[in-house]
Amino acid sequence: MRVEFYGVSRQRAGVGELEVTAATLGQLLTILSSEVPALSDLIEGDRLHPALAASLNGDRFVRDPHTPLDDDDCVLLLSADAGG
Amino acid sequence: MFGYHGRFLRIDVSTGSAERLPVPESVLREYLGGTGLGAWLLLREGQASGDPLAPSSPLIFAFSPLVGSPLTTTAKFAVVSKSPLTDRFNDALAGSGFAIAGKHTGADAIVIVGRAPELSALVIDNGIVRLEPAGDLSGLPCSAAEETLRGRLGADFRIASIGPAGERLVRYATISHDGRHAGRGGSGAVLGSKNLKAIAVRGNQRCDWADPSGLVALSRDLSKRSFGPATEKYRELGTASNMLAFNRFGTLPTRNFQSGSFEDAARLSPEDLRVPRDRARSGCVACTIGCEHIYGKNGVRLEYESLFALGSLCGIGDPEAVLAAIGRCDDLGIDTISTGGTIAFAMECVERGLLDEPWLRFGDADALVRAIDLIGRREGLGAQLAEGSRRLAHSIGHDSIAFAPQVKGLELPGYEPRALQTMALGFAVAARGADHNRSGAYEVDFSEKVDRRHATLENVQFAIETEDKAALMDSLILCKFLRGVFHDFHAEVADILRSVTGWNVTPDELRDTARRIVRAKREFNLLAGWTPAEDTLPERFLSTPLPNDPSAVLSREQLGDLVAEYHRQRGW
Repeated sequence: MRVEFYGVSRQRAGVGELEVTAATLGQLLTILSSEVPALSDLIEGDRLHPALAASLNGDRFVRDPHTPLDDDDCVLLLSADAGG
Repeated sequence: MFGYHGRFLRIDVSTGSAERLPVPESVLREYLGGTGLGAWLLLREGQASGDPLAPSSPLIFAFSPLVGSPLTTTAKFAVVSKSPLTDRFNDALAGSGFAIAGKHTGADAIVIVGRAPELSALVIDNGIVRLEPAGDLSGLPCSAAEETLRGRLGADFRIASIGPAGERLVRYATISHDGRHAGRGGSGAVLGSKNLKAIAVRGNQRCDWADPSGLVALSRDLSKRSFGPATEKYRELGTASNMLAFNRFGTLPTRNFQSGSFEDAARLSPEDLRVPRDRARSGCVACTIGCEHIYGKNGVRLEYESLFALGSLCGIGDPEAVLAAIGRCDDLGIDTISTGGTIAFAMECVERGLLDEPWLRFGDADALVRAIDLIGRREGLGAQLAEGSRRLAHSIGHDSIAFAPQVKGLELPGYEPRALQTMALGFAVAARGADHNRSGAYEVDFSEKVDRRHATLENVQFAIETEDKAALMDSLILCKFLRGVFHDFHAEVADILRSVTGWNVTPDELRDTARRIVRAKREFNLLAGWTPAEDTLPERFLSTPLPNDPSAVLSREQLGDLVAEYHRQRGW
């Protein structure tokens, strides 16, 4: 599936998106923490740091590491604070 | 008394007279400072039904118990008045040294009434008040006026001033200090109506703290946490980092809210903007976050709201043009959100054949800058644009009010309400109009707590919670960019307030205080003529789907139910 990075997560990852294979949000975060070390302190084990938010396909926001993911899903990572 | 002087300064600039009047400690405990104290003082003045630009209409600068302390982000002040744009309660916050110097004059607040005989600077020197002629400052941008006055009075003065737009009573003119703006609602026009170009303050009257060592320890801890991931967005990229994310979510208002996505969003994002340009970071005095990102050789401070309002909202994708437009607004002293919203509305009226100004088209950067300059001079079309989108819609007629992007007359900030429906409720009910600072309901929409596209009555409690939290932060005063740092906001803030004032404040007391402050704003609005019909959104948002997100639909009935539930839960 595709992971899209916005804001700080994009700046840290150095790319706008990545292709990752994972069955759950928790697996995805564990993989990202390993493959993109610059993100590791925004990911606590298999969970998001409170400062980071994840949206499934731009629809609902998810935080439960057991959230199932399909191959055609897109997970968007952005700052949890949308203040402007 | 700790943390306060226990008095405010009431100045009549018609005569130059000044009184020091007491503020009971009970009032300070109930309203804290900033917005809360400002609301209490505004009600006390009893001018809710009057013309906001009349000499009798008060303009209030309210300080806080935390200002001048080692706590990060506390160098802020509130400007409170009746808004000439909305005819309703208005409070606007700005940061930096004016807050500290103002408090050091020996007053917890400064209330200004009357009208000076000539264009003047109001000088408050350690509590001694005088008026200085300021005719030579007429027409100067705020930055130049500030520099000139400090050169004349002394470098230790701190200045809040208006630009040419405030002098010409543009209804969304700002009051600015050190490049920061008390932006929304037209406080600059109120100061201009008093024939005041600027206020200069200095003093050495400091307040004592109840528990200095405890306060220092709390301050160190808060500062340390303020360097962490919760504030990284502001530190590294600034609020402009919202641009790409909001576009992706379809919540980036485009072409007068005709769409929620903009084809040139990437060009306006900080990821693209900073590459070929000089960029510097800055921050308010006494702030550890440093959220200000200054671009280009002309030093334009870039914020998401300015980018959206003068960028996507007007269909402008050229970053140089948007930076120039922002700089022009800063020079004139006008709120970028209301400027962009009013111009975008006018652009759509031209598009629809309702306004005979064929040069004013979406996407035309030259037209945007020309319109801004006309606003600043109140010349030609600018005289109408200077009145804001609601008044412009009433003069145009043809049911154009249906797509004038305002609530209670205040133009919407950069959050598309059809796709962020808790925010939609926040916009509809906020005391000062469509507002993302007095309601932080977008936080809820960007979370797993709700479905942002389909608000139900369960969303209402979250909207109330963010509104109450904002009221507290604006009264203490703490910058909202700090909010993610707190683990238990009310408990931690109670500790902070206790260390400053010695009051045995509890979290529950603070929740009551927040509700009291929100109720005070409502009380003012009731006296000013508020009716329930004002708590709504323009027809566009209730009947026209978003082309980029047809599932994001907010009906009139749905919003009505949300608003009714909000009033019920508020006990109103």
